[in-house]
Amino acid sequence: MHRIVTCIKYAGILTAALCFRLPAVADTPAPAPPGSTIDWSREQRFWSFQKPRAQTRPVVKNVRWPRVPLDYFIMARLERTGLTPSPEADRRTLVRRVTFDVTGLPPTPDEVTQFLEDKRTGAYERLVQRLLDSRRFGERMASMWLPLARYAEDQAHQVGDDTMYFYPNAYKYRDWVIGAFNRDLPYDQFVRLQLAADKIDKILKAAPAAKDSDLAALGFLGLGPKYYDRGKLGVMADEWEDRVDTVTRTFLGLTVSCARCHDHKFDPITARDYYALAGVFASTKMVNRKPDGQAEKGDVKADKMNPGTLHVVEDGAATNLNVFIRGNVEQKGPLVERRFLRVLCDSEPPPFKEGSGRGDLAGAIASRENPLTARVIVNRVWGLLFGRPLVDTPSNFGRRGSLPTHPEMLDDLAVRFMDGGWSIKSLVREIALSSAYRQGSASDAKKAEIDAPNLLLWRMNRRRLTVEQWRDATLFLSGELKWEGENSPDLDNPANHRRTVCARISRLNLNGVLALFDYPDANVHAEKRSVTTTPTQKLFMLNSPFMMGRARALAARIAAQSDENDPARVRRAYQMLFGRDADPSELKIALEFLRRPAAAGMTRWEQYAQMLLASNEMLFVD
Amino acid sequence: MIEDIQAGLSRREMLRRMSAGFGMLSMAGMTAPARAFADSATHSPQFAPRAKRIIFLFLNGGPSHIDTFDPKPALKKFEGQKPTGDFYRKVKGTGFMPSPFTFKRCGQSGIEVCETLPNLSRIIDDCCVIRSMKTDVPNHEPALLQMHTGNVQPIRPSMGSWLLYGLGSENENLPGYVVLRPSSKIVVGPALWSNSFLPAEYQATSVITADMQVEKLVANIRSSTLTVQQQREDLDMLGRLNRMHLKKRDADPELEGQIKAMETAFRMQKEAMRTFDINREPEHVRKMYGDTTFGRSCLLARRLVEDGVRFVTVYYTSDQDNQPWDTHSNHDARHPKLCADADRAGAALISDLKARGLLEDTLVIWGGEFGRTPYAENPEKSKAGRDHHHTAFSMLLAGGGVKGGTVYGTSDEFGLNVAENPVHVHDLHATVLHLLGIDHTKLTYRYAGRDFRLTDVYGNVVKPILA
Repeated sequence: MHRIVTCIKYAGILTAALCFRLPAVADTPAPAPPGSTIDWSREQRFWSFQKPRAQTRPVVKNVRWPRVPLDYFIMARLERTGLTPSPEADRRTLVRRVTFDVTGLPPTPDEVTQFLEDKRTGAYERLVQRLLDSRRFGERMASMWLPLARYAEDQAHQVGDDTMYFYPNAYKYRDWVIGAFNRDLPYDQFVRLQLAADKIDKILKAAPAAKDSDLAALGFLGLGPKYYDRGKLGVMADEWEDRVDTVTRTFLGLTVSCARCHDHKFDPITARDYYALAGVFASTKMVNRKPDGQAEKGDVKADKMNPGTLHVVEDGAATNLNVFIRGNVEQKGPLVERRFLRVLCDSEPPPFKEGSGRGDLAGAIASRENPLTARVIVNRVWGLLFGRPLVDTPSNFGRRGSLPTHPEMLDDLAVRFMDGGWSIKSLVREIALSSAYRQGSASDAKKAEIDAPNLLLWRMNRRRLTVEQWRDATLFLSGELKWEGENSPDLDNPANHRRTVCARISRLNLNGVLALFDYPDANVHAEKRSVTTTPTQKLFMLNSPFMMGRARALAARIAAQSDENDPARVRRAYQMLFGRDADPSELKIALEFLRRPAAAGMTRWEQYAQMLLASNEMLFVD
Repeated sequence: MIEDIQAGLSRREMLRRMSAGFGMLSMAGMTAPARAFADSATHSPQFAPRAKRIIFLFLNGGPSHIDTFDPKPALKKFEGQKPTGDFYRKVKGTGFMPSPFTFKRCGQSGIEVCETLPNLSRIIDDCCVIRSMKTDVPNHEPALLQMHTGNVQPIRPSMGSWLLYGLGSENENLPGYVVLRPSSKIVVGPALWSNSFLPAEYQATSVITADMQVEKLVANIRSSTLTVQQQREDLDMLGRLNRMHLKKRDADPELEGQIKAMETAFRMQKEAMRTFDINREPEHVRKMYGDTTFGRSCLLARRLVEDGVRFVTVYYTSDQDNQPWDTHSNHDARHPKLCADADRAGAALISDLKARGLLEDTLVIWGGEFGRTPYAENPEKSKAGRDHHHTAFSMLLAGGGVKGGTVYGTSDEFGLNVAENPVHVHDLHATVLHLLGIDHTKLTYRYAGRDFRLTDVYGNVVKPILA
């Protein structure tokens, strides 16, 4: 079928792109006009195509503020702009913030007390280490990772009740991701295994931590969408686009799939580049692999699959693709050998040699020589902890993407990330320990005049909880969160009290609660989440059986954990939910409320507990 | 200093960041037009809209054009013959199958309409019949997706989400985009009304209409335990706590937005309870629409647009069949029964809107994902049916700036292919956006490095049907 991917209004965008001044980090040439021959060395001068460079530590006047290397970059920028950082957040705020950020859950009252009472030096460092060592860390990180991998367990298209394209054991990939973060699998290996774990022996040297169970990592590719009428060339071309898009945006922050119908309009990515990568996926088959290593044969419906089956990929016949002129599979242009992107190589890239080329591709991405891979993941982790990434288009480091707010710091973090063995935990640790991260989140009118959006980080950003954090915290507080259970339980099942990251994710029918609270569409790689505030979310808070159930359980739990009198219980509630004491006016409001007559079917305490769960203080982290 | 900060940001980024806080406060962005078009670097206002809202009556399965709006007497003459030559198709059955129903010239306009649609016949002068619709694929899933999102694969926003993104809602106490479906079993499902990569505030509120009690229609619309007064008491207490929290946090607009959303939700309970309650309609009105799932849904659709909902889709499915118009067998008996229901409710809706002065700025669309073959499909055990047909089919439009009493486009003498003035689904979408005051080439959203449109790189406004 004839198909042209949308790319419109270039003229307007181009003008807008040139309206801003570029930072001095890189000598950035204007984009070459479309259609002209690409001058590669010129294109490679664009900031993100240059290898990140270790930076000398910036000189700052306030030498007492920085705690970790990144702080020098933040401080230097603030000083240059005439701004000063905010005072450090109080300890209660800090423990709540860092616990939510690293584990996705609130601290217990005991954990708060323990931290407050630890007067030895290094108390905060020990807190952060305890959180990083917790199994909850991997679950929190997986919540970041899975939407990038457009993780789902079914297909958007279901003809009749045919479930043969569904993935009943998708959770094995999810569990692998959680485990990988928890064992701090070096990120370069994390990448290699997700693209080519079936080639362990061939890439063993490059992935020493790999083991057989790492085959589940291939779910990154193996759980991809299968489209209606697959098998037809035009439909397979759509599927290859999904693979190219997901791989390049997730790992490289590049929108290579824009080049499916013509050379990329903004970035030095040609249609030949696109088909060189698409050929890798044209040479790769999606298979349901049984524990004995054999593929499930024929059309097996989801409920008939072996419970040990992994949804993975393996090499098919190695195939080079022709460029499809204007994306039209009927119009074949020149044949392109499978190879890596030209702009990320010093010279014409050599053809991939081994099988489909997935192993070569994995190696080219997970490489120190690759200027993007480390920067892209560092930027995502930064975004997870600060609420806004340094490059605000975390899956687009091309010309149409944003520029980094702190380019030198991003480089420095990326280089040290690679030098230190691609350790995600070390990266999270440095960020969480930084003075920048420990700032209070209070605004300041004068500073806001200079930098209202807080791009330079003169304070911490206040953040709304994600749907995973919010739902998990609610169940955790009511004492009902379950760590183990069914593999991928449906969120609509009232008995499902597992962490939200374990919920069944559907392409066909995304769960209503997830959709309501901004979980992204699982049909495509999700660069980031929208954060919307709607009355329908609040109707859920007010009237849903989920909230009523949690309110009842929370009220009972508070009663069980404290003295019988209301003031003690209110204090306990504040400690549990907000990690602090209720102040006198809050106590007064609560006691007034609790004194009034109860409605039929709900005690005053249950009503009160529900309102606390629905409060802004519950929903936001300072 | 500002320059120093801006250095790290594109102008587009700055624009987006500056508008973000404000947009978040409104349910579906009352300021959304500025944002939608600013994103695509277009600032000029579009043009005066002719329609403000849309009701799409969607007949699942693909209603036959041959037996509704596109009379083909030649089928009688060539009955039983297979299409050959230029008309060649691979035919599974016995060849051409004429409509057993008669067509009459109706109204002042004299448009020929099938006898199975007596009520629409009577108001045909308010309607525009397109006889030259085309879509890309003769299978339900891709054709449904194309009609709803412009794309045959399920990864694009739906027309309703695009409109909400472009225009915002007219009533912040109600959802802006509502989907009415008799059951959860709609073929393809939520991808048809997905916001896809558009922000979640543009998502549809999906309502299952099997049970028309308001509590059953709208999720969490009412407390199962508390009275309105008791809930007010709860919210007053919560409001005090939230305001104290806010005061300590420099009146952060995001926190204010949350407080406002909570109050809106409280009001929405009351307003939605009223709007969604068709029992408030007098008996004669309910009768006019017909006491069927589809009839009741059409009436509900009218109440929704009357109160400011921007886009309503009503799906026609039945308890037994999630695509009843897919008459592969026994067509001649099944088709008129479906028409009886859809004709009555559709005509009632158009007349009712007209009587209330709403038709002039409400666009009603009546049709399915494709048409049906003019030749027979002959299943083994039942009478003949018609197969899927995508190269020519009909669609009915009314109100909202569409010229009434017009026919646009023709199909060939058998209704096989478009003969004149083709209207591809992309053209229909372009026209719908145009009627709402939007240039379809300028309503764009940047995602994954490129600007997307409802109409992709296609679409021409069908100007001759504009009033």
